[in-house]
Amino acid sequence: MADDAESELIARAQEGDHRAFAALVRRYQDRVFRFILRLIGARDEAMDLTQETFMKAHQALPGWRPEAQFRTWLFRIAHNAALDVLRRRERIEFVSFADLPAGEEDHALPDPARQPDQRLADRQSIELLERTLQELPAEHREILLLRELEDMSYTEIAATLGIAEGTVKSRLARARSAAIAGYQRHSGDNRHE
Amino acid sequence: MNDQPTPMHAPDLPGLSAYLDGELDAEERQRVAIHLAACPVCTGRLAELAALSTDLRALPEESLGFDLAGVIESRLAAAPRRTVARRRRDWWMGWPAAVGSAASIAAGVLMGSALVTGSAAAAPRMAAMRVFDTMPPGNLCVGLESCYVKGSVK
Ligand SMILES: [Zn+2]
Repeated sequence: MADDAESELIARAQEGDHRAFAALVRRYQDRVFRFILRLIGARDEAMDLTQETFMKAHQALPGWRPEAQFRTWLFRIAHNAALDVLRRRERIEFVSFADLPAGEEDHALPDPARQPDQRLADRQSIELLERTLQELPAEHREILLLRELEDMSYTEIAATLGIAEGTVKSRLARARSAAIAGYQRHSGDNRHE
Repeated sequence: MNDQPTPMHAPDLPGLSAYLDGELDAEERQRVAIHLAACPVCTGRLAELAALSTDLRALPEESLGFDLAGVIESRLAAAPRRTVARRRRDWWMGWPAAVGSAASIAAGVLMGSALVTGSAAAAPRMAAMRVFDTMPPGNLCVGLESCYVKGSVK
């Protein structure tokens, strides 16, 4: 990720080279967009916010230091921008364990009939998972995205979200538990329909 | 998580989750592995976590569908004074003299501190903080320092 070519681009962008900055944008534009889109849901708004994220990154670039990982630094700016939108929408809900039926998170077992490589083979499963993800509290959805889609380590997630690594560990576990419970609830709904 | 598994016990979810992610130290990892070998409850829970991970990674990937980088580059070219630029002639060389000199005075004010201190940390960092000062509270990235790797912060 933080390869020599990237370091070179950052150094040039810091000196005011717009083309170098554009090359950095090109490296990350789809990933930042994907992260923001899944976080806030609305495609047009996500496009605007992605652009805003890179403009903010450009403004803040003089303050970037080689000790910082560019990706976590960039995603932190995206995180702040997306959180601001979510707050404006008043859609931020914090941990919603109280909403889960008691005990559901602990005794749900995997469906042995489904092999891992076939799990998302059908459109319905994808839709259920997408719906489950969108229904999670934003902070749960976000940490899952950083871990599973961006493949960030706990150290990187901690830097991106500005939280302790211990918090990453516990929040990620809660997020996964809530996602599994939500997915199974939706699967159950579908079977009974 | 006990070393002697009981048939019904609440799995240590953060432990299993971190085990799945390879985020436990060697000692903890071994402890969990030994427990898993004897505990179907935790093994089942781990399988669920792994399946969720596989499924999330298999979700269709959205993309922007256009080259945002090109748009950004145009926007930056249209508003060049925001950069702390050594290559400032790129944008003001072609301007009419009056506009050019006024702009370079204004730019000089902005760039002066950065040029005087060279590559020292203070001026650019302050410039970066000013950027965030102009944003509504929700945008505050007060924790940018935490983006730095531990131990490298002065
Ligand atoms: Zn167990």
